[in-house]
Amino acid sequence: MYASGVNGSGADAIVVRGLTKRFRDQAAVDGISFRVARGRFFGFLGPNGAGKSTTIKMLTGLLRPTAGEACIEGLDLARDLLAIKRIIGVLPEELALYERLTGEEYLHFAGRMHGLSKDETRRRTDELLDFLSLAEDRGKLIVDYSQGMKKKTALAAALIHNPKVLFLDEPLNGIDPVSGRVVTNLLRRLAAKGVTLFFTSHVLDVVERLCDEVAIIDRGRLVAQGSLAEIREGRSVSGDASLEDVFLKLVAADVSREDLSWIG
Amino acid sequence: MDRLIALVLVRFKLELRGFSRARERTLGLVLAIPGVAILSGALSLVAFFGTRTLQARNPELLLPVLSVLVTGLGLLWALSPVLTGLAFTETHDLTRLLHFPIPLGTLVASSLIANLAQPLVAAQMPVLLALALGLSTRLAAFPFALAGVVLAFVFILAASQLAGLALHAVSRNRRYHDLALFLGLALSFALSLVPVLLMAGAGRGLGRAVRLLAAGDLFALSPFAWGVRAAVHAGRGEAAPFLGFSALCAGAIVAALGLCVAMIHRIYRGELKLGGAGGGAATRARMVLPGRLGALVEKDLRAIWREPVMRAAFVMGLASPLLFLLFLSQTRAMSASGTWLLGLASFVGIAGFGANAFGMERRGLATLLGFPLPRFWLLVGKNLASIAFRLPSLLTLLVAGAFLASPALVPAAATIAISTLLIASGADNYMSILFPLTVPAPGQSAYGGGGAGGRGLGSAFLAAFALAGVMLASAPFAFLAWLPLLLESPRLWLVSLPLALAGATAAYLMLVSGAARLLSRREPELLERVLGEA
Repeated sequence: MYASGVNGSGADAIVVRGLTKRFRDQAAVDGISFRVARGRFFGFLGPNGAGKSTTIKMLTGLLRPTAGEACIEGLDLARDLLAIKRIIGVLPEELALYERLTGEEYLHFAGRMHGLSKDETRRRTDELLDFLSLAEDRGKLIVDYSQGMKKKTALAAALIHNPKVLFLDEPLNGIDPVSGRVVTNLLRRLAAKGVTLFFTSHVLDVVERLCDEVAIIDRGRLVAQGSLAEIREGRSVSGDASLEDVFLKLVAADVSREDLSWIG
Repeated sequence: MDRLIALVLVRFKLELRGFSRARERTLGLVLAIPGVAILSGALSLVAFFGTRTLQARNPELLLPVLSVLVTGLGLLWALSPVLTGLAFTETHDLTRLLHFPIPLGTLVASSLIANLAQPLVAAQMPVLLALALGLSTRLAAFPFALAGVVLAFVFILAASQLAGLALHAVSRNRRYHDLALFLGLALSFALSLVPVLLMAGAGRGLGRAVRLLAAGDLFALSPFAWGVRAAVHAGRGEAAPFLGFSALCAGAIVAALGLCVAMIHRIYRGELKLGGAGGGAATRARMVLPGRLGALVEKDLRAIWREPVMRAAFVMGLASPLLFLLFLSQTRAMSASGTWLLGLASFVGIAGFGANAFGMERRGLATLLGFPLPRFWLLVGKNLASIAFRLPSLLTLLVAGAFLASPALVPAAATIAISTLLIASGADNYMSILFPLTVPAPGQSAYGGGGAGGRGLGSAFLAAFALAGVMLASAPFAFLAWLPLLLESPRLWLVSLPLALAGATAAYLMLVSGAARLLSRREPELLERVLGEA
């Protein structure tokens, strides 16, 4: 169960304290705590299986934490889940779209589920379809979309109600470079307008370009949090080291390997 | 040869792992073994004594009748992937192995050999032996008769493999895949009606049809029949026709395997593309029903109609009440008073229990529960869609009832069906929340099995109790609709029917209200269970 009473300053969009998720005896997320200020572009990084998606699932109410507490825009995750769902948008790693709807129908459905009027839903759907280059395929069933098109449709659905906080789990996976640029420009504009973005990605140079702040999780525990400069400073890494260098150092990844004996 | 052995072994390993990783499958197999053994024994007896009897009484009919029967069975076997909903399992999908440098012939041969060791295939071995024994007039002829029967069986397996590959090629196009799935299920449903039709007196017609087909011996041209014809000739000691039909059957096997190789080759090189799935790319289709509830209901109805399995279920739902009526009409259960219609209406309503409110969502449940829709309305929307899905079959029943019973009973029957349907749907929400079904993981077929879980034995008992509860809870409302008939005072319906509907609606709303509170508390656990993350 969640404990109530998590505090956050008025400037914090996300406050997490001691968040833990155990699957049987294994801790997927182990007592992590962090804050994300409103309007920040927050990168949440970690190797495969580190607990990124589990954290997002807990913060969006899809998984119940084993322990810990979290607050989104001042709303307690344990008590105000429905209110939280009104103000967040979620792009999950595993897309679960209704594949027997057309892309346009799906966006209409998403808009209406968020309580938008028919006309407003229609207006926003048309704009989103145009913006994400999906207008030509608006009448195709989602099952016939490419992976990139599905990703863009899910992103459009996450945006249609103009959320205050956006959770994006690997949003650029499977998207072509042109759409990728369109999406990253859009995300930048959203952050500039005060939307808080909680973003995971394996593409570290994109994270480096976009995020104001990052947190790095490894085997369920937070190993660093702050701006890239702060993390470099805290870990005594040279000022020109890339995020990838910092990341590899923090997760203690051993990338040295001997050659395969039979190659060449 | 090493590769052939490795391929056969990997197939066995996958099969075994399929059982060891899914207790339901293992349990299913264990439970099925006695049934399969009994069926195999019964078929063996039928094969042995059937051929002996025919040989003794109408020897001239043995060849044509066996040709017809073997062709029919062979076609059914070959089409079994379609009839079971295109249940391609990992082990049948040869195209997964195409990127390895394995000669295609080896690939096809390995699949054929591995098929011979499938439990259902192995269960046919006693039947083959019995058939060969039945056909052999002398012991010395037995090995040759058996060779003919085995050739016929191997051809059936090769044809089945060819049909499987053709279906795989077709299913690469989503629209054809959907069509094949729908037609396969419809065909399977039609075949399941055979016992009902036989009970309704169509047995004599079927016998006449077989005799008619056998009369011209047209099925001598069927490759499915060649092996068995060789066996018949071997049993009679006729060497030349035995050799001729054996050679023909062997040639047919080689041809089928050759076609398999050619088809794999063409699938691999993308030469069997059947066009894009597309359609309506730029057409606008918007949700028309008003409000969030309307959008939710419309979403479900659109998805149901476009999902071939659900569409097939819908069509079967339309036909089922009519078949039941046909069955009743044969058993003299229909009384002149027409009360059977009211009883049948109760059954139609109670069938709403077990609808599984979240069943249609599959992994989309995470998306649905991500929306800030009050859970009360979410459940009402899901129930309304489920009820709307059943309305056409209810309407079919009522129209048929109006003709077979009395039009005056139709409002009462409709009231009973809707009342019980409401209460069954409301109660079923608790089962959906407390005992959700695990859905297949991404990339696994929803129809292929192996990925989805069951609710377990404990929940089956609880479901039985809950069903009894549903029957009890809906009884007063059904009784209200029945009362005027018992009192022979039809005017009472003017009061009793609205009262029954209002009472059932109130009970339904109370049930949903409780279920919505339960859902709000258990949402994360529900998702963990449905998505298999628990």
